[in-house]
Amino acid sequence: MSEPVLEIEDVDAGFGASQILFGINLAVAQGEIAGVLGLNGAGKSVTMKVIAGLIPAWKGAVRLNGRDITGLAPEQRVGLGLGHVPQGRQVFPELTVEENLRLGAYTLRRRDKSRYAPSLAATWERFPKLYERRRQAAGTMSGGEQAALAVARALINEPTVVLVDEPSAGLAPLIVRDVFDTLKQVATTGVTMILVEQNVAAALQLVDTVTLLQTGTVAWHGPLAELDRSMLATRLGIGRMLGPSTAAAANKRAVKKKAVPEKKPAAKKAAPAKKVAAKKTVPQKAAATKKAAPRKRAT
Amino acid sequence: MGEVFVLGAIAGGIYGLFAVATVLVYRGSGVLNFAQGEVGTLGLFLAVWLINDHGMPWVVGALAAVVVTTAIGVLFERFVVRKMGDAPRVSVAVATVGLLLFVLSGELVRVGASPKSLPGPFSGNGWRIAGVVVSPTQALSLVVALGVGVALATLLRRTDFGLGVLAAAQDPSAAQLVGVPVNRVSAFVWGAGAGLSTVACLLVAPGLGAFAPGALGRLFLFGLAAAIVGGLTSLPGAFVGGLVVGLVEASSGRIFAESSLPGVKTLAVFILLLVTLLVRPHGLFGTRESRHG
Repeated sequence: MSEPVLEIEDVDAGFGASQILFGINLAVAQGEIAGVLGLNGAGKSVTMKVIAGLIPAWKGAVRLNGRDITGLAPEQRVGLGLGHVPQGRQVFPELTVEENLRLGAYTLRRRDKSRYAPSLAATWERFPKLYERRRQAAGTMSGGEQAALAVARALINEPTVVLVDEPSAGLAPLIVRDVFDTLKQVATTGVTMILVEQNVAAALQLVDTVTLLQTGTVAWHGPLAELDRSMLATRLGIGRMLGPSTAAAANKRAVKKKAVPEKKPAAKKAAPAKKVAAKKTVPQKAAATKKAAPRKRAT
Repeated sequence: MGEVFVLGAIAGGIYGLFAVATVLVYRGSGVLNFAQGEVGTLGLFLAVWLINDHGMPWVVGALAAVVVTTAIGVLFERFVVRKMGDAPRVSVAVATVGLLLFVLSGELVRVGASPKSLPGPFSGNGWRIAGVVVSPTQALSLVVALGVGVALATLLRRTDFGLGVLAAAQDPSAAQLVGVPVNRVSAFVWGAGAGLSTVACLLVAPGLGAFAPGALGRLFLFGLAAAIVGGLTSLPGAFVGGLVVGLVEASSGRIFAESSLPGVKTLAVFILLLVTLLVRPHGLFGTRESRHG
């Protein structure tokens, strides 16, 4: 792994007197999509806020491109290469699409105004739908389009790392798919991202590495391929939500299938279930390699 | 009828300026700044001191007054509003009442309760338009009101900082996350609010004759009424609201000219305000959903 572009070292943080993060460590390499998962209250969103600078770290350091940014204001961090796709999208509803993008490039334009035009052109190319709507007030667009605008607004500033905070929160399932399609497309261009997401199944389709938070500490960290999904399912208590590729879900389905139509006596019911449990590792490994294979990106 | 329009437009321009100052701060911070009128009056006394007592040219005295009151607005933001960060907006509004009382008592201590007067920037008799004598200062106030409107609109829509001001008004945390320096935006709206209020006071003073501390409170209230009629979040709405208030005031003054009812103009403006709040609480141009509640 090359030098991390974003690094959190031994961070404690919280609100008021209540501590929420206990010695969090996280390192994100160039081009990596890092997923931060965990239950409600595990500290995901506090971690994001500490990186953004919205709440201070009590202890420890946050480094961006090797530079200590622990004491900087949020807007200064943006100027140094941090990008945000905030929770709930938070586009500026009364401003036009183009004005939203211009604001996204606020610090880029201050650093070097000549870089704005090519960056805007690249954005239009990447998001042709936004170009069609460039003079429209952002608040009048659909949720999916606003989500695309939020992503575009973060990317136009040419950030080193983009923090994507709960992109699916409050969106209809169909739009969630749109949003993740957008993020997948962006991911293939080598942008470094940190993704916090409740929708674990969707997140796992996107990330390269997983950091699992539990009660304010890092419970597990590693590449997606090494992730034991049954462990994840147990830790998150969401076995059924990880889709058909997960062992727990496959297991349950198999039991149901056998149990219902054949109407086996209760005593014999346990046997087929055990058999399925033994097969458990096969679909899981297949899924893992399948996921890992098409993700060969230049990093 | 023409008379009503001329009087209404002149007064309306001034109310529009007060209203714009109110709307800027309200949009930027979600707070009604009750001290605005009195801070403007403080600027007026500063101008009196410099122009009448020290013989400085009007322009110099007026500029100094605007600069000093703008600084007061910025300092108040820096040391009071920003410290109150996440406090309920009503608490911040109460803090502006504190500033109002502080400035008012400061004025009473320094200049006393006896009225002062300030000449206009130009001498001369002015022009007769539709039976009304319009003084050069009154004409200037209309030009300034228009100029301020155009300048603000240009600043807010054409510059990055101005867009940042609009963005911060719509969603402060999102503005911060795209890199807008929200503290500077906040300082700007409070400073500009105080400065614009002083400009309005300077332009209205020659027409008032004499004024004592607190005497311009009524103008601020009319400006607030204009802002609410215009929608409280809309800058063009603030000017239109100013004109509406000016016209209502002028026409009520004419309709009830013979009845010698005291305070009938003020009553008319407050009825307008009441009707607006009952029938169309988001004003003529405001957005229906107000984030600041």
